[in-house]
Amino acid sequence: MTEGAPRTCAHCGLPVPAERVVDGADKLFCCSGCEAVYRVIGEAGLSRYYDLRAADLERVLEPASPSAATFSEFDDPEFLRLHASDAGGGKAVDLYLEGVHCAACVWLVEKLPDLVAGVRSVRLDFGRSVASIEWDPKVTKLSAVARTLDRFGYVPHPYRSATRRSLAKGEERSMLIRMGVAGAAAGNTMLMAVALYAGAEDDPTMAKFLRWMSLIVAVPAVAWAGQTFFRGALAGLRTRTLHMDVPVSVALITATSASVYSTVTGAGSVYFDSLSMLVFLLLVARWLQFRALRASADASELLFSLAPSRARVVDDAGAEREVAVDTLVAGQRVAIRAGESVPVDGVVHAGESRLDNALLTGESAPVEVREGDQVHAGALNVAARIVVRVTAAGENTRVGKLLAAVRAAQQRRAPIVQLADRIAVYFVAAVLALAALSAGLWWSHGWSVVVERFVSVLVVTCPCALGLATPLAVAHALGAAARHGIFVKGADTIEALAGISGVVFDKTGTLTEGRVVLTRFEGPPELRQEIAAIEAHSSHPYARAVVESMPTSLVADDVRDRAGGGVDGSVAGHRVSIGTLRFLRELGVQVSEAWERRAAHAAATEGSPVLVARDGSVCGLMTFGDPLRRESCAAVRALEGRGLSVSILSGDHPGVVARVAKELGVQDALGGVPPERKLELVDGWTSAGRNLAMVGDGVNDAAALAAARVGIAVRGGAEACLASADVFLTRPGVEPVVHLIDGARRTLRVVYRGLAISLVYNLIGASLALAGLIDPLAAAVLMPISSLTVVLSSMLSRPFRSRSRRDATQLVHAPEREVVACP
Amino acid sequence: MSVIYVLLPVAVLMAMAFVALFVWATRTGQFDDVSTPPLRVLFDEEGANGAEKPEPATDGKDRT
Repeated sequence: MTEGAPRTCAHCGLPVPAERVVDGADKLFCCSGCEAVYRVIGEAGLSRYYDLRAADLERVLEPASPSAATFSEFDDPEFLRLHASDAGGGKAVDLYLEGVHCAACVWLVEKLPDLVAGVRSVRLDFGRSVASIEWDPKVTKLSAVARTLDRFGYVPHPYRSATRRSLAKGEERSMLIRMGVAGAAAGNTMLMAVALYAGAEDDPTMAKFLRWMSLIVAVPAVAWAGQTFFRGALAGLRTRTLHMDVPVSVALITATSASVYSTVTGAGSVYFDSLSMLVFLLLVARWLQFRALRASADASELLFSLAPSRARVVDDAGAEREVAVDTLVAGQRVAIRAGESVPVDGVVHAGESRLDNALLTGESAPVEVREGDQVHAGALNVAARIVVRVTAAGENTRVGKLLAAVRAAQQRRAPIVQLADRIAVYFVAAVLALAALSAGLWWSHGWSVVVERFVSVLVVTCPCALGLATPLAVAHALGAAARHGIFVKGADTIEALAGISGVVFDKTGTLTEGRVVLTRFEGPPELRQEIAAIEAHSSHPYARAVVESMPTSLVADDVRDRAGGGVDGSVAGHRVSIGTLRFLRELGVQVSEAWERRAAHAAATEGSPVLVARDGSVCGLMTFGDPLRRESCAAVRALEGRGLSVSILSGDHPGVVARVAKELGVQDALGGVPPERKLELVDGWTSAGRNLAMVGDGVNDAAALAAARVGIAVRGGAEACLASADVFLTRPGVEPVVHLIDGARRTLRVVYRGLAISLVYNLIGASLALAGLIDPLAAAVLMPISSLTVVLSSMLSRPFRSRSRRDATQLVHAPEREVVACP
Repeated sequence: MSVIYVLLPVAVLMAMAFVALFVWATRTGQFDDVSTPPLRVLFDEEGANGAEKPEPATDGKDRT
């Protein structure tokens, strides 16, 4: 291996950061989570996992992060009553698992019965990351099962209540059964019809026999499977809204009755084959739509089972006990260890630490807290254990209120009426008019002819292709998008995306890299080594950034990492202190005016300054910043080139946001915006009629994402954010947003194309029917041809194809500097 | 050709039998998850709870 080539984690395959490379080690890991899971898998004798993993080239790379929680709330009788159901002598439960991203994970999870006694079976639904577990409560507790899953890196969450789960399943199964029955009927009647068209009509007994057989097969199937449309039409008529179920039902009922009459009397045409085919194709279209809706409903459910649910209560004796967050009351004391999320709003009672408020404010720099300081639920405790006195828990916390706002915003959303349904109103009127016209035209030819013409018009103009066009195009597009790492949650999102007028960005993680990097160093060169030696002892993000960029062989001692804004220690015979202006002054360090000015200048223009003092006087300055992604500039230009406005709405420091905006050439930028205000602003814009897409990555954006026309969550975002957004991007940066919008626009064009094709067929068919040229054979032929054309038009389209070679190389060969100034 | 008078009803009865099987398979949840069983094919040893046979490909259509 060449020196400097990135080593990859033995568990997850992501590159190993420099500080975790141990020379001579057999296996390297990118984080302690991966290392822990690797050992657990090895100890359980399940190393075959890695072989299976190697075979799956499409898996998503993600580090393992077991939560080390006890999951004791899973044993609560109330919990079991709500989420578990009885199954064959034991209980069954559905749990959502984080971290499932490959076939090997399925294998591993389904090995659970071998690892935990009492677990009877585990089935993992890969598409939804939901494990269905059956276990015997007398032998083992659900919390033990959950802990095992957690140790392997699959953090479990309760999925949905048992009753809702069975309701949803029931509906899906009914749809499938109706589709199957209609399909069977269609296939068989078509076979019999071919015989009739091929000449069996000439033999009166055979013809009669075949017609009766077709009737027996088709009528029950159409009547039963078609109930979806009949019910829909009735509902539509009752509420005075015309949608496609009305002409479909009219055609089905009229044509079926006419065909039955013809069979019984032995004269006239039968349309059984066309009718069953019609029902089948329309049910397929419905099913495609239903599946898309179900995926987005699943995701929203997830949102509410992911809120922090566990807390450690400390009683007066100092003993800790894990309880559900919902049971906490104000005044209780809660212990929060380093690496855990704060579960409540409260005041620090004991301890000193740093908190990462990125989830709430978007700020990537941690905030020091000590006794008496306020903390909010959702913050990540970075440094040390603290004990917090509760002031608000559960739904009353800031985060809880935000999540409630998300839910409210989602309900407020007006559903986008599908284009096809809007056309339906005119369509219905036109069809009925045509049918009446045909009746009038042929009036003089006698009753039976009139009925024939009437029925043929109805059958031929039936909106089969029309009903297929949109769901098919959208389903195809969603699949294509998913292959490019863009997960769109609903059919109406595509239509919404194509109609937006602007994009709002949260700064961190999308426009910038979302991490802290050392951008400039001023001072004597040997100082760098000394700084790095000291910073190696700190877990502060600034420290990590320093160590990354300055490897050193020096060792520092007596290092004190102070929560007050800095760190100091002895190295190479000098006393070196690193920290903010205030920190150094408190230590009694001499800060000359020149250095003070330089620090102020850096703060105003480049980023966050940190001063370095050696033996009592300042001699160095480090500037830290969050670099812009290389392709952000080009992507912003691309969006503007497509007629979209670009703005920035961020919780980060206004100075930083202004700098970023200036570099990108974005006029509309606001910094220092708290989550509640973000929601307010986006809500205001949406009500004013501006259709906006919002791109964000944290819980602080979740409510605003739900309020925007289209919410786009970015990879690495909180699970809560992912669940409340309409689109989830797994590729980082702004470029996927451009890709997504292009894809949505192209998909809409495919939809229009499909609708146009079906309308043309209907026109041709209607004209022929009016002229009396349509008989059952012609109808039976026209319908599949029109549907096939629409299907081909959708399936052969490639809305999310990769950008052209030229675009790709432009993005790759952008200048190597971290900060890109746009031309 | 008169054999059709016998064969066709028999065929239709067979088709109905297949439809009934399809309904049963759907009701017992065999079509709930069609994305994971293909992955399980990769595991060539016994699954923890006994590897399930792949679902029958029929959806009730009878092609006589």
